[in-house]
Amino acid sequence: MDKESPLKAIIVVTATALLCSVLVTLTAVTLQPIQKAYADLERIRFIIGISGVEDSVDEMSELEIIVAYQDIDVRLVDLQRGAFDSSYDPDAFDMWKAAADPQLNVPIPADEDVARLGQRSSLVTVYLVRDGEQLQRLILPVYGQGMWSTIYGFIALENDLNTIADITFYEHGETPGIGDLILRPDWQAKWRGRKLYDEQNLLRFRIIRGEVNASSPDAAYQVDGLTGATVTANGVMNLIHYWFGSHGFARFLNNFPSIGDM
Amino acid sequence: MEQLAAIFARAVFVENLALAFFLGMCTFLAISKQIKTAIGLGAAVILVEGITVPVNNLIYTYLLRDGALAWAGLGHLDFSYLGLISYIGVIAAMVQILEMMLKRFFPALYQALGTFLPLLTVNCAILGASLFMVQRDYSFVESAAYGFGVGVGWALALVMLAGLREKMKYSEIPQGLQGLGIVFITTGLMSMAFISIARIEL
Amino acid sequence: MIRARRALLAPLIDENPVTLHILGICSAVAITNSVYSALVMSLAVISVLAFSNVTISMMRRQLPSSVRLIVQMTVIASGVIVVDELLQAFAPETARTLSVFVGLIITNCIVLGRAEAFAAQNRVGVSFLDAIGNGIGYSLILISVAVIRELFGTGTLLDVQILKPVSEGGWFEPNGLFQLAPSAFFIIGFIIWGIRSLKPQQVEQAEFESIVAPELGGD
Repeated sequence: MDKESPLKAIIVVTATALLCSVLVTLTAVTLQPIQKAYADLERIRFIIGISGVEDSVDEMSELEIIVAYQDIDVRLVDLQRGAFDSSYDPDAFDMWKAAADPQLNVPIPADEDVARLGQRSSLVTVYLVRDGEQLQRLILPVYGQGMWSTIYGFIALENDLNTIADITFYEHGETPGIGDLILRPDWQAKWRGRKLYDEQNLLRFRIIRGEVNASSPDAAYQVDGLTGATVTANGVMNLIHYWFGSHGFARFLNNFPSIGDM
Repeated sequence: MEQLAAIFARAVFVENLALAFFLGMCTFLAISKQIKTAIGLGAAVILVEGITVPVNNLIYTYLLRDGALAWAGLGHLDFSYLGLISYIGVIAAMVQILEMMLKRFFPALYQALGTFLPLLTVNCAILGASLFMVQRDYSFVESAAYGFGVGVGWALALVMLAGLREKMKYSEIPQGLQGLGIVFITTGLMSMAFISIARIEL
Repeated sequence: MIRARRALLAPLIDENPVTLHILGICSAVAITNSVYSALVMSLAVISVLAFSNVTISMMRRQLPSSVRLIVQMTVIASGVIVVDELLQAFAPETARTLSVFVGLIITNCIVLGRAEAFAAQNRVGVSFLDAIGNGIGYSLILISVAVIRELFGTGTLLDVQILKPVSEGGWFEPNGLFQLAPSAFFIIGFIIWGIRSLKPQQVEQAEFESIVAPELGGD
């Protein structure tokens, strides 16, 4: 057949398209379970990391992490009502996927949307760390816009539901070497023991510019800023303000003492 | 509206694809010798970015993303792994169509832009803009503002570099640095200037 | 045999795709702030190059010129998707750091350039060697830039502390500028200067004459 004929062109293009799509689809389908398993394990690793386990999570094996995760009580919370919701299986529910699903999401009013999310899932996954019956820590997911990308993290509260026990950020695309300072353990350590709300239940938490003045009456609510990464640090502060504001966990945290041992 | 203006301004100055993300560098360095050609290429890039980013946004939203096919009753399908191949296909097709349309309806503009258009298929600033659009989950309107913005930003950087290079012919440059070497160093300096702009909060 | 050697060795210094032909610069600048990302990126580019060169070379007698480019783009894009999926499955953290730059291998003009200029006319074996040669030539630049940037930017190499920073009682003050992208331009500029001082035939004589890439000017 003539190499340059239109028929030949059509045959070659169709054959290439067919072969390439088979190759690509096979790869994607085979690898998807591995990718998903890894992503799940990553998430669990971060949750365990701030759950107050004694060993460093970096030294724990995959199996130990999964075993530790078994002890954590995973629940779904309806933020609107501020109550637990049991209409879905908490282990299978994907709150980030639900945020894009018109049936499961709620729009965030523009004046409350400081974390620039647009909408969120109406149900949110929370993690209760217990020692016997006693609540040790409450781990909540938080996320919001940083400078370039969405920053995802988990925050662990002490059982007073106000003191930050630990924080971790796990997925972000901030500027390497600047915005990724939010991953540094020494900065995250500065969050420990800080409080979110004051006695009047007002959200007082701030990430300030420069260093916290220890003698200031607000010091208990403040974390040092990140030199050079102001935009990223502001993004982090905004996501805390959203998630602990009235559209976020505020109602749930208020109700928690009465529903917590449900 | 304010949100769109912010996306646009960020795309032009703060997240300049050429100077902050270094996309489309081959073309950027090769076709920045004269301001005149730089303006022609810049215009072509603005046009192509302004079209391909929103079109790819539609393709991503209604065909590829997880659950995108819900309108066809196929909500459980996730074709996002086909993203790369679809975007580059759209870009190649758009460039081709644009070329034919310009040739037919705006021959003068075609004369000015014609030679640069085919190059744009393999310009990573074009594909990169679509990938960033997906990564940041822009809506259709936002993606249009973003596409237009990155185009303008890239063109601006290109014309500025061309201006600097035209002046550079009066300088004495060490032998080994002539041409490519000094252009790299100049681009580095420009990029430092843009990094300081990136500190401005929008 | 000589041809095969040339296909493999010439792109390392003499015809280096980055410094002579200014191809594939985006990634050379963007992801060289750590040696590890540079290594992974190099491997990804070499695999895609080898895959596309071999495939295009096998098809070269059947490929009508009218649809040549689009078929080549499809082959390259498929190769990149496979590499991207593999990275996401087996090295997800690296895949995250490289973010869109793995996808951008599609528009890395080294890949299309070699498919078009070499594989479309040559036999499979030689095309494979050409791909490996060009891939290594690209990697050499990528990794040298990354070594300089990581060492002076953070005092580490592959995350192992080499120079002890002041904050831990050493003498070294990490220079943040090396972690920022402009430094990559300076470093590549100086590497080009170095190569051209050693190989004066590469020097561009008259300013404002052709420095356009011989194959494709795109990226």
